[in-house]
Amino acid sequence: MRGHLPAPHHDGMDSAPALYMIRINGHLGAILLSAFPAMAPHHHDAHTVLTGRLDRSALYGVLAEIDALGLDLLEVRQLEPDRKSPGSDDSCSP
Amino acid sequence: MTIVSAPAGSGKTSLLRAWADRPVQPHRLAVMQVQRDQQDAQQFWLALLSAVRRAFGTTSGAEPPAATPEFNGRAMVDRVLSELEDHPGRTVLIIDDLHELRSRDALAQLTRLLTNLPPNAHAVLATRRDLPLRLHQLRLVDELAEIRAEDLRFTERETCELLGASGITLSAVGVALLHQRTEGWAAGLRLAAISLDGHPDPERFVAEFSGSERMVAEYLLAEMLERQPEDVQQVLLRTSLLDRVNGELADLLTGRPGSERILLSLEEANAFVVSLDPERTWFRYHHLFGDLLRLELRRMLPEQAPVLHRRAAEWFVQQGQAADAIRHTQAAGDWPDAARLLADHSFSLTMDGQAQTVRALLRAFPPGTDYPELALIRAGRSVARGRLDEAAAHLAVAEAYAETTPPDRQRRLGIAIASLKLSLAARRGHLAGVTEQARFLASPVTGQSDEDIALGNDLRAVALMNLGTVEASLGLADAERHLGEGAVLARKIGRPYLEVRCLVQLGFASKIRPFATVQRRCREAIALAERYGWGAEPMTAPALITLASTMVWTGEFGEAERWLRRAMRALQADTGADIRLLVHSVSGMLQACRGRHHEALQDFSAADNLGSQLADSHALAGQVTGWMLATQARLGMSGEARAVIAALADERASSGEIHNARAAICLAECDPAGALGALRDVLDGTAPVVGYVTVVEAQLLAGLAYRELGDLRAGNQAAERALALAESDRLVLPFAMTGSRELLEALPRHETAHAALLADILDVLHGSAAAAEDQPPPPDAEELSAGELRVLRYLPTNLSRPEIAGELSVSPNTVSTHIRSIYAKLGVRDRYSAVQRARELQLLSADRTH
Repeated sequence: MRGHLPAPHHDGMDSAPALYMIRINGHLGAILLSAFPAMAPHHHDAHTVLTGRLDRSALYGVLAEIDALGLDLLEVRQLEPDRKSPGSDDSCSP
Repeated sequence: MTIVSAPAGSGKTSLLRAWADRPVQPHRLAVMQVQRDQQDAQQFWLALLSAVRRAFGTTSGAEPPAATPEFNGRAMVDRVLSELEDHPGRTVLIIDDLHELRSRDALAQLTRLLTNLPPNAHAVLATRRDLPLRLHQLRLVDELAEIRAEDLRFTERETCELLGASGITLSAVGVALLHQRTEGWAAGLRLAAISLDGHPDPERFVAEFSGSERMVAEYLLAEMLERQPEDVQQVLLRTSLLDRVNGELADLLTGRPGSERILLSLEEANAFVVSLDPERTWFRYHHLFGDLLRLELRRMLPEQAPVLHRRAAEWFVQQGQAADAIRHTQAAGDWPDAARLLADHSFSLTMDGQAQTVRALLRAFPPGTDYPELALIRAGRSVARGRLDEAAAHLAVAEAYAETTPPDRQRRLGIAIASLKLSLAARRGHLAGVTEQARFLASPVTGQSDEDIALGNDLRAVALMNLGTVEASLGLADAERHLGEGAVLARKIGRPYLEVRCLVQLGFASKIRPFATVQRRCREAIALAERYGWGAEPMTAPALITLASTMVWTGEFGEAERWLRRAMRALQADTGADIRLLVHSVSGMLQACRGRHHEALQDFSAADNLGSQLADSHALAGQVTGWMLATQARLGMSGEARAVIAALADERASSGEIHNARAAICLAECDPAGALGALRDVLDGTAPVVGYVTVVEAQLLAGLAYRELGDLRAGNQAAERALALAESDRLVLPFAMTGSRELLEALPRHETAHAALLADILDVLHGSAAAAEDQPPPPDAEELSAGELRVLRYLPTNLSRPEIAGELSVSPNTVSTHIRSIYAKLGVRDRYSAVQRARELQLLSADRTH
């Protein structure tokens, strides 16, 4: 009888797309938002939150564009797949 | 060193410009800005070197830096360093937009440059983000100054001053609001100033701006655009997709005239447009500004972007700017057209030293789709990397495709394919293949356009070079003619790289000519290479070693050794067997002349091994085998030597060189009669020989045999005959290698017609003997640089490296680098030996001035 095997633990990033949330200082207007067609924008207080499903290449493409446009990056968070260890509470709402 | 590291729009470039344009400038400035998305290390370094040269005004004397398909980053850094060291007085090297340098190689090379800067040079770098430059050492020693975003922010008072200087009046409250909203960000303030200039209600503008939560740049850009007249808007939007723009190109994109005037006025209004040349014909937008405009263009005129890219691409094609044309064609999404352009131009781009640009363009094609034209480029890159079978496979694909294209394209592709086949055959040493392709390429150029003609000339020059090189390696007579033609053509079309390659090979191919001619040709080739800064490149190895070999023959052993060492440093893993054979044989000859027979045998054996890889007709291979056997005999290995001879093919075994070897074996076994018997066919001219030098050798061996037999008169006669043969070229080598000193000394002066030559030869033989008795004579030291000499002077003291660094006001890293180089150049491994050697070479004498 097979013993219970632990689930494989991935240390690196998968190349499969994941859901990301990126928070930027200030409100992005139409011009700047057009630089991120793969992301859905949402104005939250004085920030703009971009959400979208990105694989590794796409994620770094977005980060590079944020850099190139001189935007103020506040936070990058992976929402799904959920990687938090069991037991900690987590709120994923954007 | 100073680093300015801050995000886009912080004012880095303005800071550098303002500093550089100060009316009183005590330093010399070398200024360069890294091109957008620079993936090509060579292009970066050529621009840097040009900037340095402009600063020093050294545009005469040295050639303008020329591109080469074989870029050597290390040598380039050394060139820049020596330019900086050669000019006293403080120099500041300014590199802007360093984050655009995408080549990791170039960054590593730059690190080396920065950590080895001479004391009189200072570097200022501007970048948007911190780079992997490994400058911790400098940081620790306080040699690094950093200016970061915080330092560049405008204070409220400075904001007030900026507005005042632009003629804008704003209340204190307004200024405070503006400062707060922009957070002192330079670009924001500048954009605001543009909008405020002549605004009917500045206070309200600031209030609205302050109340908005939109990104500063976006808000202000939109504002600024809105206030521009329509024709200016069109220029700004439509030309935003260019890295640089001039009036003509802008008119083409807007479809109406007058753009130049608009660009000039934008520059004057300080609206993020800068001119790139003193005549103010070319302009560039500030990157951030341009990026935003480009986004706005795509948003407002979405269907225009590809159209504009295409128009720009056509214009660049007409201007002969292939790389830009291809980039825009790719941006327009016209992948098949882009593939075609890249295939047509990859050869000339590579000849222009833009091989890495070609690679970047190749990588930009979307994965998954495949364009058969690209097989051609891949084939070229495979050849360049020595992956010959891979190249052949790609070529087959390209050829199959070419047959399906319309006639005029077929011709073009046919030429490109033939040139690659030529390179491939040349790499393989396959003469028939080379000749076939060269015939096709060397036919008269029937181009329609200037571009066609230029391409045709390039191809013909490359064909001649490859053909001549292969012929030279096979010792064929046509080599000299083809290489000479190639060099002349290369000079005419302005391809220094090809010219140097042809001349170097010409020197190598001249081996059968009188030494004076050979030396002249080799020196000419090497001098030309040095003028372009390629003196240490692998391509010069054939000329270096040929020069070395002529000197060994004429007994200039010290000089020969110097050139030999240079040639050995220039060798690479894929250097041809024929070159390496010559290197080993020269090294062997020098060892033999110095009586170091074990080392000589090693070299000759290696050479013999290489000779077996070459065609049978190779001249030098025959000589080398003979010498190897003779050396074996001298070391008492007669048995092995005879076994080798027994295994030789009949044709080789009956050559004069092998007869001589047999004679040497007999002499070593104390059988002078046997030696004379072996030499008979050589002495009476019936045995085939590589050259008359073999006969000289034979005469000397006969002379030695006669002496053994007690027939001194016959011995003297043989020696005299040898001298007679050696007179015209003043050969010394055969006398040294056969160990004929006693034979010559026995020759009475009044019995010889060649007393002068005899005296010279004996001088050399005595000198070598003396040298052989000491420790192996170390090679003459290569010139130490000024920095290295400074460090050298401290080596005899007992100061540690950090202490020496303190004395010289440089970093310990610099001292370590200099010491490593000193050891390498002096051929030593430790401080004590370095001091000894330096004393021998009188490098430490107090009266050396710098």
